Amino acid sequence: MTLSEVQALLHGRITGIVPDREDELREQVMASPSLPALERVEIYARMYLHRLVDAVAEDVPHTAGMLGHDGFMDLVREYLREHPSRSPDIGQVGREFGAWLGGREGFREDLPDLAILERARSEVRTAPDAPVAGPGSLQGLPLDSFPGTRFVFSPSLRVLHLHHDVRALWDALDEERERPAPAPRPTTLAVWRHEFKVFHTALSGSEADALEVAREGGTLEEVCGACAGEPEPAQAAFRTVLSWFADGWVSAVMSPDLGGAHSLREAIRVG
Amino acid sequence: MVPFLGHGIGLRTKHFPELLEQGRRADWFEVITENFLHVGGRPRAVLEAVRADRPVVLHGVSLSIGSVDSLNEEYLRDVRDLADAVEPAWVSDHLCWGSFGRHNAHDLLPMPFTEEALSHVVSRVVEVQERLGRRILLENVSSYLTYSTATLSEWDFLAEVSRQADCLILLDVNNVYVSAINHGFDALEFLRGIPVDRVAQIHLAGHQNLGTHLLDTHDAPVPDRVWALYQDAVRRFGRVSTLVEWDDRIPPLDEVLAEAEKARILASAVLEEAP
Repeated sequence: MTLSEVQALLHGRITGIVPDREDELREQVMASPSLPALERVEIYARMYLHRLVDAVAEDVPHTAGMLGHDGFMDLVREYLREHPSRSPDIGQVGREFGAWLGGREGFREDLPDLAILERARSEVRTAPDAPVAGPGSLQGLPLDSFPGTRFVFSPSLRVLHLHHDVRALWDALDEERERPAPAPRPTTLAVWRHEFKVFHTALSGSEADALEVAREGGTLEEVCGACAGEPEPAQAAFRTVLSWFADGWVSAVMSPDLGGAHSLREAIRVG
Repeated sequence: MVPFLGHGIGLRTKHFPELLEQGRRADWFEVITENFLHVGGRPRAVLEAVRADRPVVLHGVSLSIGSVDSLNEEYLRDVRDLADAVEPAWVSDHLCWGSFGRHNAHDLLPMPFTEEALSHVVSRVVEVQERLGRRILLENVSSYLTYSTATLSEWDFLAEVSRQADCLILLDVNNVYVSAINHGFDALEFLRGIPVDRVAQIHLAGHQNLGTHLLDTHDAPVPDRVWALYQDAVRRFGRVSTLVEWDDRIPPLDEVLAEAEKARILASAVLEEAP
């Protein structure tokens, strides 16, 4: 066998993608009286599953706890068949677990949303650092440049659109209290890091719309437009934008008067 | 040759608070490269604080140098960027493979010690060293299987890779011991087969005896037989930067530091007995 063929054979067996070919494995792998060839391969297969289950569990500890050891392991085994690790960083293997769980049944209906929230919190905890712009960054801008002003957001900000409000469940699990019943209602959560601490909060419809517009590179004028449905649109937009600064979500303010179009695009792309 | 850094420990999340509060008491620290790629927040802050007053080395687990997959260019760029930022004393990874068809098994799978594999690894090490702009250290792994097609011993394979690719060796003494028991070879023969001038770092760790084989678990103190082999290694390779790994069931920082201190004492005893 060539190096490539040997690696295909072993990799297939260890990851569970190709379960058979036992005769070829016996031919390639040296046996000893105490440890037959297939058992030697099996050591790696067991470690593969346990290592990746641990990696996913590290992202979603409450979800894993609710599913129980065996239930969680069975689900991760199934998940890995559809989402094998493509990243050199093992911490990325659970990236799609919550969304994948959404297509499964046999557990609490809000568990997939809990997993999505937990994964987001995990990502945010170690997301790349970025400068934090204070509200003072707006004060220095000429009034007539306000409508065209755009925002660059911190890479540690995540926005989640969930089918359930899982905040109370997350709190109960985190504080080891009795779990509340599922709360099925569309919920948008923002997840972010301030210094080393991770937070999440729910956004109202207009807050979520305004943030989406701004994160996609929309101008302050367009952000205000997203609040048009509020009783006092201008004040609602003002409060929303100020809250972004207060929570440290904004990394930079890009005024048409302060930077060229190129640097603006670059900054938005990086952000 | 690389500098002698003394006796260090791995930088692990569990010790972050103690390291920040009590200062960086080890001679040097080894960080798992992949844990710090595109990473900010507390881990990055701790890394920078540690790096400010102690040498740091980057130790990767996902280079997959022996894989038949093409080299992961994005990963190499990320490692180079991190190395540029951290300025480690050196960068290391393992002599193994871990991916196939870009599917990562996240394990350190042993190479078949054949001429084909040797030539494959040598060319890739040369390429990686060019990409990273530095010589790398390759570590021998613990293994639980060998291949019937092998024509070289593990130590001859490692020695040849280091000579032909002009890279350095991270000699994991615990891995030598674990593999020696698992495959029935003489650990001292392994040490004798490794060129003295290539060994730039030594690893020490604990393992578990599962009856049919030893498992490299990094979850226990260094066993006496590994300490003895470490002294044999110091006798052969002289004063080499040594690092204690402890990755699972991690004890308080003081306990890991005590292991590094023990390495210092045992190495000194050997070096003092030299004529």
